[in-house]
Amino acid sequence: MNTDDLIAVLAADTLPQQTVGQRLWRALPVAIGVTVLAFVVFWGARADMMAALNSAAILKTIFPLVLALLAGALAFGLARPGLRADMRMAALGLFAAGLIAAFAMALARDGVSGLTGALATPSLVTCLLSVPTLALPLLGAVFWALSAGAALRPRLTGAVAGLLAGGLSAALYSLHCDQDAALFVLPAYSTAILPVALFGAAIGPRLLKW
Amino acid sequence: MRAAKRGDSVAYRQLLQAITPVLRTVVRARGTALGRETCEDVLQEVLLAIHAKRHTWQEDAPLRPWLYAIARHKVVDAFRARGRHFDLSIDDLAEVLPAADGPDPTEGRDMEKVLSRLEPRAAEIVRAFGLNGETTAETAARLDMSEGAVRVALHRALKTIARLRERMIE
Repeated sequence: MNTDDLIAVLAADTLPQQTVGQRLWRALPVAIGVTVLAFVVFWGARADMMAALNSAAILKTIFPLVLALLAGALAFGLARPGLRADMRMAALGLFAAGLIAAFAMALARDGVSGLTGALATPSLVTCLLSVPTLALPLLGAVFWALSAGAALRPRLTGAVAGLLAGGLSAALYSLHCDQDAALFVLPAYSTAILPVALFGAAIGPRLLKW
Repeated sequence: MRAAKRGDSVAYRQLLQAITPVLRTVVRARGTALGRETCEDVLQEVLLAIHAKRHTWQEDAPLRPWLYAIARHKVVDAFRARGRHFDLSIDDLAEVLPAADGPDPTEGRDMEKVLSRLEPRAAEIVRAFGLNGETTAETAARLDMSEGAVRVALHRALKTIARLRERMIE
């Protein structure tokens, strides 16, 4: 088939395509539903959830949500060729830097003994296992949506998709977790989200290929 | 492209025809050692990618950066994949000399291979539009299908073609 004929074929195909946003809009609510259901059945909210949400502990839920939002905006940008994603990348980087600064400040206040004390709880293992597990359905939905896009850097895009899914999952898990110390939440949640991002980076080149 | 996104097939065709010579120059400049036919295959691949990903261009964004980003990605990809089992035949060398009355220089080989692996009816529809230049209505009447069914079948066939080409090259 010569190129002119191919063009004729392509021009004849006028059916609308699903964009990344439309796919996300379809898949993410389903994935969130599945994750929330699993959360309610197997984890359950902490007994004092309402009281916690009225205290500073609500930051534990808000920060991962902000992370997910920033990561989502960046992932959208990365899936669209010709779009400069620098600003979104900078926003995400700035947010991460802020978290590290907050961790450094808390560490300076309470010292290393404060850190080891905060982390010496069985909640740590639960957190490190729960966040990646709860993130899996979300990651599936995000990848399905992004595969409709045209990621020029699939590994990076996959990692950012992992941050998005991990952030949402951590926000949900925070409703179960009863450890509110900054020296627990910052290192534990970050370490729990990281494997999701790494997994996303690992499968990105394969699943976001086009 | 704006008109194309709203389903204006004539405008879309004009756009593709307008960008093809530019893309062909780019592809040939990069792949001089691969021969004309392979370059044309790569060019067709770029066109398929532009088609498959046309929704990732936003109407308020400039078209050129988007187009070049897609083309660059696909060209690099295609040459990398082909470089692995690179064959230089006498035919390719012969093509350096201008052939007076050779075969159509814009003929691609991969497309035929892919079409032969497609479901017969899907291949038939693709050929109807490409080689025979039929309209949707004509194809629908000849194959005794509704126009909607022909559109859907063509849409699916193009998706399958993209997938098959991907697998074939690897």
